[in-house]
Amino acid sequence: MPPIVSAKRLVKRFRRPKKAPGLAGAVRHLLRPRHETVTAVDGVDLSIEEGESVAYVGPNGAGKSTTIKLLTGILVPSAGTVDVCGVRPHIDRQANARNISVVFGQRTQLWWDIPVIESFRLLGDIYAVPAADYRQTMDELVDVLDLGPLLGVPARQLSLGQRMRCDLGAALIHAPRVLFLDEPTIGLDVAVKARLREFVGRMRTRRGLTVLLTSHDLGDIEELCPRMIMLDQGRIVYDGAFDEVTRRFGWEQKVVVTLADDTADAAARAGAALARVGPRIETTGTGLEVTFDSRTVTSGEVIKELALAVPVVDLTLEETSAETIVRRLYEGNLTFQQPVRQSFQPVGDPEPDR
Amino acid sequence: MTAVEDVVTRRGRRDTAGPKYLSLARTTLQQAIAYRITTFFNVGLTFIWVIILYYLWRAAYAGRVSIAGLTWDQMRTYVVIAYGINALVGWRTGSAMMATIRTGDIVFEMVRPLNYCTTQIARALGFTAVEGAISLAFTLGIGLLFLDIRPPASLPAALLFGLALIIGFLTKVLIVFLVSLLTFWTLNGMGLMWSQQAIMQILSGTIVPLALMPGWLQVIAQVLPLRGIVSTPLQLYLGTTTGWSVVGLLTLQVGWLIALWVLANLAWRRAFRIVEIQGG
Repeated sequence: MPPIVSAKRLVKRFRRPKKAPGLAGAVRHLLRPRHETVTAVDGVDLSIEEGESVAYVGPNGAGKSTTIKLLTGILVPSAGTVDVCGVRPHIDRQANARNISVVFGQRTQLWWDIPVIESFRLLGDIYAVPAADYRQTMDELVDVLDLGPLLGVPARQLSLGQRMRCDLGAALIHAPRVLFLDEPTIGLDVAVKARLREFVGRMRTRRGLTVLLTSHDLGDIEELCPRMIMLDQGRIVYDGAFDEVTRRFGWEQKVVVTLADDTADAAARAGAALARVGPRIETTGTGLEVTFDSRTVTSGEVIKELALAVPVVDLTLEETSAETIVRRLYEGNLTFQQPVRQSFQPVGDPEPDR
Repeated sequence: MTAVEDVVTRRGRRDTAGPKYLSLARTTLQQAIAYRITTFFNVGLTFIWVIILYYLWRAAYAGRVSIAGLTWDQMRTYVVIAYGINALVGWRTGSAMMATIRTGDIVFEMVRPLNYCTTQIARALGFTAVEGAISLAFTLGIGLLFLDIRPPASLPAALLFGLALIIGFLTKVLIVFLVSLLTFWTLNGMGLMWSQQAIMQILSGTIVPLALMPGWLQVIAQVLPLRGIVSTPLQLYLGTTTGWSVVGLLTLQVGWLIALWVLANLAWRRAFRIVEIQGG
């Protein structure tokens, strides 16, 4: 079977106006506009099988959203080819629209001022979902996402978490084959995040949905996507199993410490206490940030040493984000031993669909 | 065949263009009702102009039977109904189109199986159902109670007026749509909206009947599509145009409508090709 999503040598260039600062620059631009070309996506090859769940990660501006827009038919590629469910999205946008669905964490497709159920009904009409299927899907969505109490409420009165649940439901009304999730858990609390992930996972297994997820949240990826594609400056820097990356680079942890104000030599004292661990210590406005290798020492030990050495008021533990990993990968602080962009074999996926 | 594919095939058979746009219009109507108080004031405020114009014209007609072929009875009627028609496609329609472009929410309209121009007409219909109803209430209320407006010249005149009104509505929606597409390039809608509003009110004959404009402006106004929005329906209503001229007027209206439809679709495709969706 051919891949459900594929791209070959995909390129997208934008032309941006180049303006000098200030009024003089604005006037000059008006008289003689100058443009610069920005390459947002630079020769990307993608091949995703039906039912796969893939994380698409990279720092801000890496070209993730642009790729999604190319795959959804919103943008026209500058070069290369795209194929989604056998349709070329930008040529046959409407046919593509029936096969896919997009959820943006920062936007809602719900009508703002009318009850949520009306948005669902309208989407059912737009995609011409047969009445019986509509009812069945609605029942399922209401059940799994617990939408019952929300359906009568206008979207503007929903909390962010409630809104995202409704948005996810709205995206699935027409039983798409491919679901694009663009930072779906941004700004959500832990409980809501967990629930959304669980839901997406369940939809995947139940419906054979193919999911392409962009996120800065390692948790999202860990839970949902066995496979990860990393992008930087428009190019793929890694395409392979997610576990592989975290096993190699996810060991870095950071303790953020808030100190009582009367500690001038805190950094030095913390450094001395943790000397055998060799942490990286940065002084911030309110305290310290201690970065260490979680393979050589547990966070519990680090915290214990810190609490003894300096007057700790408050303390949080941060794991390395996907973004940091990608950034460090690209900066060359961390490198893969094997050549990058090794073709990924879904058949031999060590972690089959859950 | 999986359940999903099964749904896709069955859906293919059921898919017709009609219901989805009607449903879209209905939803926009619901949305517009949510803002009924704002809408009421927006429409109501434009009718202040009717009062001002009424007194201006009354002064101008002192001691005269007709100006530019219109009697005082006709002129009164013209002024009130012109504002009623003008309020049919209000500020909201254009600003809603521009807002989706400016905020980037247009991505959702692009990932749905919809013709974009038809979508805009369907949404405008939804707004118009509310704005139009309020505008009708104002027109009839002010017109009948205070300004003594006249009924249509005859039954055929009334029917032709209705027809011209519908074509005029579609014309205005497409023009507003074309102007809002400029937001793709400028990203600032307010200035566009204001100039569009002003030009449209003058050249459609909302403020002054076309016959009263200076010669050169009259020539411009007569060939442009804007006259079809207010002036043409009113000429038919008042019965000041008869015989073959009626056919001429309607042909011009329809001709422009088709041209604008083609133009709107082309412009959309062009905008679509160079678009950079805002905000990510």
